[in-house]
Amino acid sequence: MSELSATVMNLPRRDAQDKLRGRTKYTNDRIRPDMLHAVLLRSTVPAGRIRKLDVSAALRCPGVRAVATGADAPGLYGIGIADHPLLAIDTIRYHGEPIAVIAAETEKQARAALAAIMLEVEPLAPVLTMAEALQPAARLVHEGWRGYEVITEGGARGGNIAWEAKSSRGDVDAAFARPDIRIVESSFTVGRQSHVPFEPRVAIGSWEDGRAHIQTSTQVPWTVRNVTGRVMQLAPGRVRVTVPPVGGGFGLKFDASIEPITALLARMTGRTVVLENTRQEEMATCLCRENAEIRIRSAVTAEGYIAGREAVVLMDCGAYGGEQVFLTTMTAHTLGGNYKVGATRLVSRAVYTNTPPNGAFRACNGVYNTFALERHTDEICDALGFDPMEFRKKNVLGDGDLGATGQVFEADVLGPMLDRMDALRVRTGTSEAKADGRLYGIATTVGTWFVFVGPSAATVNLNADGSATLVTSGVEIGSGTMVQSLPQIVAGQLGLAPEQVIVREADTDAAGLDVGVGGGRTTVSIGAASVAACADVREKLLRTAGEMLQTRPEDLVLREGRVEITGRPGSGMSIPAVVAHAQATTGPITGSGAFTAKNTPAMSGCAMGHFIDALDIPVFVVHEAEVAVDPDTGHVEVLAYRVVQDVGRALNPRAILGQIQGGVVQGLGYALHEEVTLTADGRIAQDDFETYRLPLAQDVVPVAADLYEGAPSMGPLGTKGAGEVPILAVGAAIGCAVARAIGKPVRQLPLTPPRVLGLLHEREPPPEFPHIAPGWASNTLC
Amino acid sequence: MTVTFQLNGEDCRFHGDPMTPLVDILRQERFLTGTKAVCREGFCGACTVHVDDEAMPSCLKPVGLVQGCAVTTIEGLSSGNQALHPLQAAFEADDAVQCGMCFPGMVMSLSAFVRDNPHASRAEIKAAMVGNICRCTGYERIVDAVAVCLDQARKAGQLVEGINV
Repeated sequence: MSELSATVMNLPRRDAQDKLRGRTKYTNDRIRPDMLHAVLLRSTVPAGRIRKLDVSAALRCPGVRAVATGADAPGLYGIGIADHPLLAIDTIRYHGEPIAVIAAETEKQARAALAAIMLEVEPLAPVLTMAEALQPAARLVHEGWRGYEVITEGGARGGNIAWEAKSSRGDVDAAFARPDIRIVESSFTVGRQSHVPFEPRVAIGSWEDGRAHIQTSTQVPWTVRNVTGRVMQLAPGRVRVTVPPVGGGFGLKFDASIEPITALLARMTGRTVVLENTRQEEMATCLCRENAEIRIRSAVTAEGYIAGREAVVLMDCGAYGGEQVFLTTMTAHTLGGNYKVGATRLVSRAVYTNTPPNGAFRACNGVYNTFALERHTDEICDALGFDPMEFRKKNVLGDGDLGATGQVFEADVLGPMLDRMDALRVRTGTSEAKADGRLYGIATTVGTWFVFVGPSAATVNLNADGSATLVTSGVEIGSGTMVQSLPQIVAGQLGLAPEQVIVREADTDAAGLDVGVGGGRTTVSIGAASVAACADVREKLLRTAGEMLQTRPEDLVLREGRVEITGRPGSGMSIPAVVAHAQATTGPITGSGAFTAKNTPAMSGCAMGHFIDALDIPVFVVHEAEVAVDPDTGHVEVLAYRVVQDVGRALNPRAILGQIQGGVVQGLGYALHEEVTLTADGRIAQDDFETYRLPLAQDVVPVAADLYEGAPSMGPLGTKGAGEVPILAVGAAIGCAVARAIGKPVRQLPLTPPRVLGLLHEREPPPEFPHIAPGWASNTLC
Repeated sequence: MTVTFQLNGEDCRFHGDPMTPLVDILRQERFLTGTKAVCREGFCGACTVHVDDEAMPSCLKPVGLVQGCAVTTIEGLSSGNQALHPLQAAFEADDAVQCGMCFPGMVMSLSAFVRDNPHASRAEIKAAMVGNICRCTGYERIVDAVAVCLDQARKAGQLVEGINV
């Protein structure tokens, strides 16, 4: 039995029954009557100075056990730059910002005591848009930006520009000056997207033996540990984070936010403290997918060669830099992906505004940059008279082609995937007949994403009953990696059944460092660390068995729970017998493994301010949408949706298809009706399920998907992450299909009925960005 | 005020404000946390329970209105080591679950629906799901599982009829 055939299977989820019976205890199901309840005093202005903050009266309210303010947790945190206090210190930068927190015996008592906090704020004129923030005389959202600790060096910063990343390859000016090219320029704007995990951000903190213990609904236990250490000015090792099953994340829980507050209050009270966002708080302070503004220009020859390309991407990070500082990196790989380009330069800027901070959301940055790039590609085809499918087949990245940072891509992947889409369309047929008199459009788009590798650790303990315990910092957020791919991988390595692999949930005291669950990395990075740990276990197991069987270890194999002599099924002895012998002679069999990125280099001088210079594991998608647009109402119906996804190796095809269906539907929401707007006072207007329109069962169609295997990957057994990427090209496919249906350029998402009607009747103004200078270089800091 | 009702087949007595949402009593006083309070406004369906066999969101149900009623939560649908409800079994078999937080409500809504609509079409199943939101799965697999469940129930029914004849 090969390692592969023992690993690939449609393993069912071991957590399904308890989830279906309502027995699974998510973090917010673990609230006990003896816990204190914490509630936050949040800002009701978008910008201001705290003139007075007196909590003494609140401390005297019934049931109140502690009140904390920014003075109690003075450390700043952030990704790239430490600019973010746990609770506002002197300055308020967004509507909803936490200012103080009360812990009381009941939630009702804590809420009642909020009114007793004396707070005087001197409001300041808020900077609400990136256009305002980039004005030369704009008020600085962070007056003291120069003084912040820089955690990661390399990015240019200045004033309201929290971070700037650039990539530059080749002579772009020369490309645009060629006599044989035409220049096509497009501008796009997109709003925010709210994750809406069913379990909001919630944490339960206690103080035990001089250390904090936080149980929380997070994707990043190690980040919560480290941020708690920073803000409380403790050694991070004095913080333990454990993670029960998570009720959805989608990237929202890829940063720390309210969790450290529970540790702070637990230290102050000696009690266990729970803090859970209400749904209103969760949505009003959601670390959304950022709103963005994109201008892209290309120089294209009459033969369809993209000689030059340049782009400016503005990403609203909101009041604090957060994830956007890191995500500026991604523009080079998303907007800079998909196509062969002669010379290219891209700048991506995270811009501070007095709005709720943004964060990470499934295929962060890629979703809107892919929309922009694919719509721009269609505008090139319109302007120069190319067939959009032929243009894509001719120009998509292939073996040996260069990315925006000079990375050399390996193997032809997107080209064959486009051919596979043609074949898939033949199999499913098309749905034009269903348009039934409405405007019909079909579009095929491509997308480039990556697996965010980075450090992971794993320990495998082999037990005397033949089971194995896998200890990692992995978290089950719903995608199935902890209950499907990881037990499959370990079982395949050790000749066990997946049911024999026990998977420990994340505990920073038990497992080594991990970057967290996101970027499609768990199966790859924790999977690779697990393979390494299994190699260690195998070596010990076979050495012991070799002694017992008087056979050389290299002549032994692990198969179906036995150590067998190669080629002699049923020979040898059972794994439990070997483990028991080892325990009595040399000690228990345990193995450890580690993994991290190989850090594929960029071409010298091509990447500036980048957290990732090149993609260790690129991931590609081809998405095709068919839509019908009602010309009277502007309503867009999705008639059919098809996906060809580069998965490297599908370890659990059924689970991957489930991720594709779910990811595409989240993308349909983003493309069509999930709209976040900001009020005049900088508040997120959609803070409940009535105003934020999520996809419902009747909005969706079954996605026809073809899993493309065999593209190169450093992942275990050649796998790539499959859960992140299904959302990547949905905005692109829908945007392009609607544009073709209505015969008008689509330059903004979501395509709500009023917006589509506006486009049809030419009432929708095209995006204009006076704050983006005409010359590319004028949009950079240096 | 005192409110008395049946909860998963046993007497349950509540003393307090009759306007208290039923979901809060289930979760905070009876520790029946399978009922999820997600939106608390009747949109998401994650807190769906059966009141006198009818599926309804427990967040919008003041406890005073269940006086004398029989309330069944997800924990009461198939308790202890009892076999899964056929709908739960269909969801498990189809690998429909992801984060899982919408499923107790989904099961409570759709178990009442399949009981009352044995011949429902796919479009009718989707229409019945208008009050149950799922953020993970994109719905189709849930619809597939409901259709399979209905189909199995019909076949089993035909078999029983055949034996009776």
